Amino acid sequence: MKTQIFLTVNGEQHELWVRNDRTLLDALHDDIGLPDVRYGCGEGVCGTCTVLADNEPINACLTFAVQAQDVAIQTLSGLTNASEELHPLQKCFLEHGAAQCGFCTPGMVLTSKVLAQRNPSATRQEIRYELVGNLCRCTGYTKIVDAVEEYFGQVREQASTGGGDR
Amino acid sequence: MSAAAPNSSAFEYQTADCWEEAIKLRALWGEGAKLIAGGQSLVPMINLRLAMPAALIDLNPIVSSGPWLDQGELVIPAMTRHRAVLDSPLVATHFPMLAKAVGLVGNVRVRNRGTIGGSVSHADPTGEIPCVVLAAGGRIVVQGPSGMRSVPADDFFLTYLTTATDLDEVVTEIRLPVAGDQDGWGFDEVTRRFSDFATVEVAVSARSRASEEIPELRVVLGGVADRPLLLGEDILEPFRRLGADPQAIDEVAQNAANSISPESDVHASADYRRRLTQVLTRRSLAQAVGLG
Amino acid sequence: MTEVLPDAPDVGSLPRTGETYNIVGTSPAHHDFIEKVKGSLLYAADWRLPGMLHAKLVRSQIASGRITRIDTSAALALPGVVAVLTAEDVPYNQIVENASGGLGEVTVSQPVLAADRVRYAGEPIAVVAATEPEIAAEAVDLVEVTYEETPGVFDAESALADDAPLVHEEGNVLVNWNIVRGDVENEMAAADVVVEGEYQSQHVEHAYLEPESGVSWLENDVVTLRISTQVIEHATEIAEILEVPESKVRVIASYMGGGFGGKEDMTVEPYLALVTWHTRKPARMVWTRQESMLASTKRHPFLMRYRTGARQDGTIVAQEVEIIGDAGAYPCLSARVLFAGAALACGPYRVPSVRCTSRAVFTNNVPSSAFRGFGAMQVVFGYESQMDQLASKLGISREEVRDRNYYVKGDTIPSGDEITTAVAVTQTRELALQELGEGPPPTASHKRVGRGFGCGMQPYGRTIWFRDHASAWLTLQTDGSLLIRSGVTDLGAGQAASLCQIASEVLGAPLESISVYIGDTALNPPAGGTFATRQLYMSGNAILRASHDLRDQLTGVAEDLLDAADGELAWQGGKVQAGGRSLTLADLAKECQQRGVNTSNLYTWRAPGGKFDPSTGQGGTFPDYTFGTHAAEVEVDLETGQVEVRRYVASHDVGRQINPVRVEGQIQGGAMQGLGYALMEDCPLDEGQAVSTLFANYLIPSSMDMPDIQVAVVESGEGRGPLGARGIGEPPVGPTAATIASAIEDAIGVRPTQLPITPERILKLLDEAGSAGAQTGEEQA
Repeated sequence: MKTQIFLTVNGEQHELWVRNDRTLLDALHDDIGLPDVRYGCGEGVCGTCTVLADNEPINACLTFAVQAQDVAIQTLSGLTNASEELHPLQKCFLEHGAAQCGFCTPGMVLTSKVLAQRNPSATRQEIRYELVGNLCRCTGYTKIVDAVEEYFGQVREQASTGGGDR
Repeated sequence: MSAAAPNSSAFEYQTADCWEEAIKLRALWGEGAKLIAGGQSLVPMINLRLAMPAALIDLNPIVSSGPWLDQGELVIPAMTRHRAVLDSPLVATHFPMLAKAVGLVGNVRVRNRGTIGGSVSHADPTGEIPCVVLAAGGRIVVQGPSGMRSVPADDFFLTYLTTATDLDEVVTEIRLPVAGDQDGWGFDEVTRRFSDFATVEVAVSARSRASEEIPELRVVLGGVADRPLLLGEDILEPFRRLGADPQAIDEVAQNAANSISPESDVHASADYRRRLTQVLTRRSLAQAVGLG
Repeated sequence: MTEVLPDAPDVGSLPRTGETYNIVGTSPAHHDFIEKVKGSLLYAADWRLPGMLHAKLVRSQIASGRITRIDTSAALALPGVVAVLTAEDVPYNQIVENASGGLGEVTVSQPVLAADRVRYAGEPIAVVAATEPEIAAEAVDLVEVTYEETPGVFDAESALADDAPLVHEEGNVLVNWNIVRGDVENEMAAADVVVEGEYQSQHVEHAYLEPESGVSWLENDVVTLRISTQVIEHATEIAEILEVPESKVRVIASYMGGGFGGKEDMTVEPYLALVTWHTRKPARMVWTRQESMLASTKRHPFLMRYRTGARQDGTIVAQEVEIIGDAGAYPCLSARVLFAGAALACGPYRVPSVRCTSRAVFTNNVPSSAFRGFGAMQVVFGYESQMDQLASKLGISREEVRDRNYYVKGDTIPSGDEITTAVAVTQTRELALQELGEGPPPTASHKRVGRGFGCGMQPYGRTIWFRDHASAWLTLQTDGSLLIRSGVTDLGAGQAASLCQIASEVLGAPLESISVYIGDTALNPPAGGTFATRQLYMSGNAILRASHDLRDQLTGVAEDLLDAADGELAWQGGKVQAGGRSLTLADLAKECQQRGVNTSNLYTWRAPGGKFDPSTGQGGTFPDYTFGTHAAEVEVDLETGQVEVRRYVASHDVGRQINPVRVEGQIQGGAMQGLGYALMEDCPLDEGQAVSTLFANYLIPSSMDMPDIQVAVVESGEGRGPLGARGIGEPPVGPTAATIASAIEDAIGVRPTQLPITPERILKLLDEAGSAGAQTGEEQA
């Protein structure tokens, strides 16, 4: 028994037929084919399935696909357009070596990006607080917080120079 | 697929865009149905095949305003997300204890989806929100086929994951009496890992009373029983006898620890919970009466 | 004891100290980093194949018992279920792991699917394959297994009793290692002081964020698996299980979402292979997190008993160590883990007389196996606690007692082999303590601040009697780009990337022109698995030599084209230069093609081998060691027992850094895993049953539980890896628990001896100290 649903993901509309118990995670990862949304625990604890729903991070593993029809879903791969250019936050992750195995990286980037919009003056401690539900087993977090801090600096600088031009 | 196929986990999915609709659906589906708000506690159980509802009634389409003030009460519609509670200037001004407690709920994703009504209905005895709602002396508004009623928080939390809501009712609002300028509060918890469910938590509200020097105290313990536990007058007696001083606080904390029979689990033994109860009761009380 | 094979040149003979490098020592962002920050890297669960089935395991509900009946009919009747396989469907139902290389452990096999007996809760009994994952999950619940429970044994010491239930008929002791040196009885009797201690560690879960996963398919009658594994060489065992020639099994390792030793044994491989072999269809298997918590291997709990005898000045004269490791229900790599524990039981200290026994003992608990640190990390908690105890007993500083005993290059370790490279442990300690400095006072009157440190010694490279080897294959293409092929698997620590950096350094090929193909038994030369901190050492040496040999092959043509003299060529920036003239690698490659000069080099590097005699407990052990010191400042809440790690510094001598950012990342990450191990993580079992399998209840540290980890790197320039590098994968996890215990003791005056050091255990220690004599706490305040 499957239900027809329409999901808006990274600006594109997808028509899917899913069981009602299909999680948004499985629909994105398996049905639409987005490798940047990952199963890590199914409990909402680890953060590897983090996606943005109307620009707020949520657990894709704790949302059923049938529930996600009226929101705009963004995943890490929707952060940049088809051009190969990385988002400045991704560049900060690169420069600081803020990824090792890389499995937690999409969740880290998306969660930090939303915080940057909300509060680019966040302190190191506030960044840590925001990332508390995105577990990392490789890096020890230091480099991740370094990367996010540097990006926040860039956002603040751009805001103060009234920029937007790059 | 044949009807006999035990393909039970694929539930029926129904949406409600108003409370009346939710109540109607609930009546239609009966016991097999589960209401889903934020889903942050329910969906893990479904994912792990610990819950297999016949139908899921989704409350998320119900549109709600943010918290608002109504005749000395802060009204928080049940579908208010934790995020909105945290962002609300009204909550920050009139209920800083709730703001602090909600900031300790789960993580950013949980707070973006989880709702205050969901937390109260789920009635996890270690949850921050039930604890604070009870300490605040709030009311829970529930609605059913026969209309609306309001349940004092004191009577609402019955046991593990069980409330005074009837099967055909839904929680629609939380109402908290607004704190005055002279009122104090204290909230403290110990978790094994930051933002996890509390091992023990203590919420205290201290309401000043015009007629008396000693404030009206409501002290609630979380994580030590099958429900958030409001301490009785007998336990608070030293306050009445000694007034708001360190000696009274110590005695109340000791009484609180002696009064409970917590259980052991993967994170802490019963004995440790008792000790934490004493320490956290003392700290929260001291904070609430300005002796912290 | 150590023999150097003729084809293993002295590792010190190639360019290193004194040379300047262009690429080595820098931290470029490699191919894998870029894919990872884009989210486009395809992990093991990301592949989907046409008609792919979803496979799921039926696991034992009980810890010890006989299977009396398995009824698969209801599961098979479920629409969408394609196969339910049990023991009788496994051609050769045994995994035999002689982890020690056959040096003394009893031979016990592990069934792929349990046939008649189950020995731990979570043991696989059947594998279900269905068209959809949800259907597979339902079918698992429909497989009916009937058991007859039998008495089990759930802790290693009880399993040693004469009347203990036998986990295996062969006996409950898998292996008993003895390392003996000198005259312990007499030296101990003559010692001025003797300190004793008992230390315990716990079951720890790897908790890589990527669960065990992979896909399988049949291609040209070859069973092919693409999985998350550290060891593609398990292809051999998979072929045995299917009873097909090894040439009919191909294993491809995807980049892993973490491994830490937990993907060193097989996980999903045999089950995927069986499903594809029986159904002839592609299949995918992803363990749920809860399944992984329940049944994946864990770090061994160690029970360690130490007696240390020393002279008045702190010089150690003798040490006795007894180690009992809980192997769980099957051997896995326990024999080797307990060997490493024995070999490293005395740490970086000269102990003239030693008797160490180290036993791996079967229980009906979940199997223990490899986990970052591999036996050598558990013992750090033991030997460092002994050193601190000795210092306080003798009334000398913790630094002084160590200074009396640190190894120096040329010293002999308890097993009798010699330390052949620099021992810079003193430098790491000085740096760590200097960086730590003095922090602010306690933040409240019910809190105490303490500082402490711990030193560690961790081997890198396999035990030398395995005669380890690794191959690397380099090809310069005619457009000047470079291909590296290597069987190395990549855990996320940059195993592939560091090979690129070394080849780029030697051949001058820009990094962006290098492609590296890894982890494929069919297309890559074998490199051995990624474990034992061996890949930089092994494959690093192989690629270094392959690069030099390839350069030598090309040199004649280049000298000719550039009209250069012997030794005049410089290889850099995609060019070869001499006396102001230059030639691109592309032109050089094309010319080589014209002249019939080979532009490929396949090099097999063999590590020095050796022998160990288990009967005398003497012989060769490991190729070399990485030393380090961690230092921490903690604040302890005397009322709740909570410990906040305020500051943490980790210092290691890494010989030479190939990629400083990656080195720092390894150290920070290792320290964090060590902090979780020290303070938070545990997998409590009740009669072999997991108390919880929820990830919510397994406390790996979050971003709010950790301080920033400061890293202080020492480069002694001496190590047996390429260009003098030492391995740094495992070493940083070792000193952490001892460091935290040392800082806590400094804060509260009592020493924790059991891990993890939970708040509850802190309060217990304070209680015991209080009732033993209330004075100590006050002195420390």
